Amino acid sequence: MFFDTREGLALALPAAIFALLLFIAPVGILLSEAFQSDNGWTLQGYIDFFAKPLNRTVFLRTLKLGILVAGTAAVIGYAAAFCIVNLSASARGRVFGLVVLPLMISPVARTYAWIVILGRTGIVNDTIVGLGLSDTPIRLLFTETAVFLGLLQLFMPLMIISLVSAMENIPRDVIPAARVLGANWFQVFFKVILPLTKEGLVVGGTLVFTGALTAYITPAILGGSKVLMLETLLYQRVNVANDFVSASVIAMILIVMSFSANLLLKRIATARK
Amino acid sequence: MKTTISLAVLSCALATNAFAQDKTLTISVYSFAQDAYKEALYDPFEEICGCDLVVETGNSVERMAKIEANANDPIIDMAVISSHDALSLARKDLVAALDVSKLSNHAKLYPAAQDPIGGNRAVGYTFYASSIVYRTDLVEINSWADLLNEKLAGNVSLPNITGTQGPLTLMMLAKAAGNDSTDYSSVISSIGEHADDIVTFYSRSSELAQLMNQEEVIAAPVGRFAWSRFKSSPLPFAWAEPAEGQAGGMNVMIMTKGNGNEELAYQFMDYWLSTEVQTRVAEALIDSPANTEVIVSDDVADNLTYGAELINSLSILDPAEIINNRETWVEQWNTEVIK
Repeated sequence: MFFDTREGLALALPAAIFALLLFIAPVGILLSEAFQSDNGWTLQGYIDFFAKPLNRTVFLRTLKLGILVAGTAAVIGYAAAFCIVNLSASARGRVFGLVVLPLMISPVARTYAWIVILGRTGIVNDTIVGLGLSDTPIRLLFTETAVFLGLLQLFMPLMIISLVSAMENIPRDVIPAARVLGANWFQVFFKVILPLTKEGLVVGGTLVFTGALTAYITPAILGGSKVLMLETLLYQRVNVANDFVSASVIAMILIVMSFSANLLLKRIATARK
Repeated sequence: MKTTISLAVLSCALATNAFAQDKTLTISVYSFAQDAYKEALYDPFEEICGCDLVVETGNSVERMAKIEANANDPIIDMAVISSHDALSLARKDLVAALDVSKLSNHAKLYPAAQDPIGGNRAVGYTFYASSIVYRTDLVEINSWADLLNEKLAGNVSLPNITGTQGPLTLMMLAKAAGNDSTDYSSVISSIGEHADDIVTFYSRSSELAQLMNQEEVIAAPVGRFAWSRFKSSPLPFAWAEPAEGQAGGMNVMIMTKGNGNEELAYQFMDYWLSTEVQTRVAEALIDSPANTEVIVSDDVADNLTYGAELINSLSILDPAEIINNRETWVEQWNTEVIK
């Protein structure tokens, strides 16, 4: 408890200076490059970026995969979270530990595991050929499917954690009450569970969508240069072409997409009240 | 008394340190095989010159950007880069013309390495051949054109256009199509038509080695410097000798303009080009020698781009052509191949 606001400000000042000097200022300078030209401020960097078909394709692919990963994580996450909150306390702890476990493993190791699983001699192709579904192994690596699976596995724990946290706050007798009053499971989910867990969905959705947009290792390893996403394109522009203007444009687009997703999800959650 | 002695020792240590720091050479090199380079080149040189070597590593773009950003007061004294990157820096007036009379080993170099970009602004220190690595049990490679053949569809990888191997592959595919000019638009279009047949466009040879060892890819063009990764594999890989021959490239040394440390840089460059160091580097399978006097065993030679006959037979892409056309190639590549 502070005696006056000056004490509070004084305590916050070191952290504020740190953030200003080492984060906000450098990021601001970097991002402002995309708005500068020899003749002053301009949006030409953005016009040039979206004028190129490859950039438009990469932008739309990133958006599509971000939405698909967040949407699929939400569907699977709700089912998993519902199961977890209905387990006994000891079982819940163990299962929750399993959900969190992948977050403790390096994304590089997790992504390389997918190379082994999805490769021509991997378990998926062995099963497909073994069941006679195809005569030869099918191409799974370096496709959008591979990137989607990698991103989903990478970020789904964040969605499950957010939804479990939200579901634990639902009073235990609400769902049985809805069922007694004649609601089917479809109605229970949309009329009871979803409205009561929307905050968890907003948090989980934002984390998963933003994570999928900004992930680098997974798209780089599982997609390569054939499935470019904005983050891998950004790296390419900086490290191959030394083109910081395009890189700044991409960084700004990623920031805008992340904030927009958060605002949109909050708006949807609020509208359902 | 003890205090006096301690202070004297400390003063001596500081003085020695200050003296050593006076003789410091900052070099910018590729990041691979740095432990081996330290043993074969850096440590022996520091002993000879009584100086400190500051080694900066990174990819070419990062290292070139640093040289450009510090043009007025160079931090880097000398750098090793590809011949076309050297020409790019030279065109920006960032590279000093070398006084080759200060390089006692200059005359021992292959002619192509003595003045690779003109005006004595660089000197070649290593060559590399580029050909196709393939699985002998699954496919036969007789021509660069086989890369886009139907029999390799879905099992072939090509280097990305933005890397060093990309333009070399374009050159050889053009040769296979009877085109000796540097207008590669029809080759890029052809790759675009076969894009779905190509597993991926790799950026690093280590990435390709992993894909070929996992049997994702059975044939791909690659530099000879990566051959040892394939040779040691239990899978039957071979180095193709296509009808159109092998492509080749060269990495060079440059000295930054106005670095103020020229004498030490000359001493280091001359040492690196010496028969002694080039032999040591070759025997460690780090880089192929550009010094004609280097003699290595057949086993070592088999891993390198070695010998006058081979080096003189390589199709080397003019660095100026790469610099002049790269933007056009990348633009068309992004439109028709990556899509």
